Amino acid sequence: MTERSFEMIKTTKLTKKYGTKTAVDGLGLCVYEGELFSLLGVNGAGKTTTIRMLSCLSKPTSGEAFVGGYSVKEAPQEVKKIIGISTQDTAVAERLTVRENLRFMASLHYTDKAKIEERTDEMIQVFRFQEVENQLAKTLSGGWQRKLSIAMALIGDPKVLFLDEPTLGLDVLARRELWKMIERIKEHRTIILTTHYMEEAEALSDRIAILQNGRLKALGTLQEIEEKAGVKGLENAFVAIAGKEESL
Amino acid sequence: MKRALAFAGRNQKEILRDPLSYLFCLAFPLVMLVVMTVVNESIPKESGMTVFRIEKLAPGIAVFGQTFLMLFACLSVSRDRAGSFLVRLYATPARSGDFILGYQIPMLVLGAAQTAVLYAASYVVSLIVKTPLKPLGLFWSFLSLQLSGILFISFGLIFGTLFSEKAAPGLCSIIISLSSFLGCIWFDAESLGGIMLKICKALPFFYCTKIGRSALALSFTKEAFWLPLLIVASCALVFDLAAVLIFRSRMRADLA
Ligand SMILES: Nc1ncnc2c1ncn2[C@@H]1O[C@H](COP(=O)(O)OP(=O)(O)OP(=O)(O)O)[C@@H](O)[C@H]1O
Ligand SMILES: [Mg+2]
Repeated sequence: MTERSFEMIKTTKLTKKYGTKTAVDGLGLCVYEGELFSLLGVNGAGKTTTIRMLSCLSKPTSGEAFVGGYSVKEAPQEVKKIIGISTQDTAVAERLTVRENLRFMASLHYTDKAKIEERTDEMIQVFRFQEVENQLAKTLSGGWQRKLSIAMALIGDPKVLFLDEPTLGLDVLARRELWKMIERIKEHRTIILTTHYMEEAEALSDRIAILQNGRLKALGTLQEIEEKAGVKGLENAFVAIAGKEESL
Repeated sequence: MKRALAFAGRNQKEILRDPLSYLFCLAFPLVMLVVMTVVNESIPKESGMTVFRIEKLAPGIAVFGQTFLMLFACLSVSRDRAGSFLVRLYATPARSGDFILGYQIPMLVLGAAQTAVLYAASYVVSLIVKTPLKPLGLFWSFLSLQLSGILFISFGLIFGTLFSEKAAPGLCSIIISLSSFLGCIWFDAESLGGIMLKICKALPFFYCTKIGRSALALSFTKEAFWLPLLIVASCALVFDLAAVLIFRSRMRADLA
């Protein structure tokens, strides 16, 4: 990543409070165009909350966030045009087939019929849905539902893709396959990924951020994070950084 | 508008692929139509009990059917709200108006289809019991009952938006029982009079059956038809608007 890349996502003092609980605390980070950026942190660290604010699903209590140059506070409608989100829970229309799910999602992004079909066919190709395309989503296995959920996030050809724990509940092989898929759909896309699997973050990320109690504890490439923690391997570095008691 | 139609298409498919929709919205009212007609056959003419005669029964059953439409409108919203499907749609360019229209349109279509089927069946029944209904009356009755359809669908959307997937159907079943009693579907409050009639007249359900029955009899007097029609239309408008506003404010709150 060169310094001159476009800042696809930029947050300044981004904060979300739920009552007295501060879920995200003064987060300041920057994600460059085309980067795959991983947000790591233990349960409740604030990863999902951060993604929700960036995708206009939750309003920041204070601070700012820009996606593609648009403020999530001032221009959410513009932001929504360039993002795709795969939520932590699988979210598909259960009584629609795979193809119908994709087509439905496409028609929220495009008005041209031919374009809708084209994008639908493309996703069926990319995700290898040919065998299940006419199956109702509720009859798919968890892993296939997950893939469909991700394909639905991608169908609007978003500049920024949010993947909140995309490989949750997938078996080892399916996870590896999804990694390849993510590599394939990356192209020039900016991807924000959260995961609890360190080897996944290691394999996919350009840069990594580690959150603890809503605060940014470390940010950089794998090497930079290892250097900062003074240990080898992301898992060790993560334990050293996120496992450390907070000194207030 | 295209997005609203896309969402409407999805909702319609989800409802039509749920066997329970047919069971409650079609089979159950049809069974009641037949059962009550049989019951009516064994009621002696001189008793003066007319509520189960086909010309009164058919509109009553049609309104009864609409209360299940309410249940399904309610279920489709509350189910979506319980899962994360609607949430992910909130992150697309679709707006709140697209969602609310997307829920309403298929219910209106299904509602019209439901009344049409029930009236076709009623017509057949009326031929069998040798008191044929007037086709023109059926037509006007069908049209006027679409207004009460809007009313019930609005109730469903409001409950589905405000209450959880668990609580909402329960509330709907309260309305279902209330409306079938106080809507005079199964008994004739007008001949009873007294406090019961007063309660019936204070709620919109009574007027829903009333306009259906008057239109079917082609008795378009002010008392029998136009006044009740005005009441049903106003209620439909008010609750429909309420549904839109409530959904919008709820969506805003979800995104806070
Ligand atoms: N709607 C809410 N109301 C109240 N508190 C919330 C809400 N959403 C999140 N929180 C709190 O904010 C904190 C951060 O939650 P968040 O879901 O962002 O964590 P996460 O990093 O995604 O965790 P996980 O790895 O378990 O998904 C948690 O303490 C959570 O309880
Ligand atoms: Mg999370």
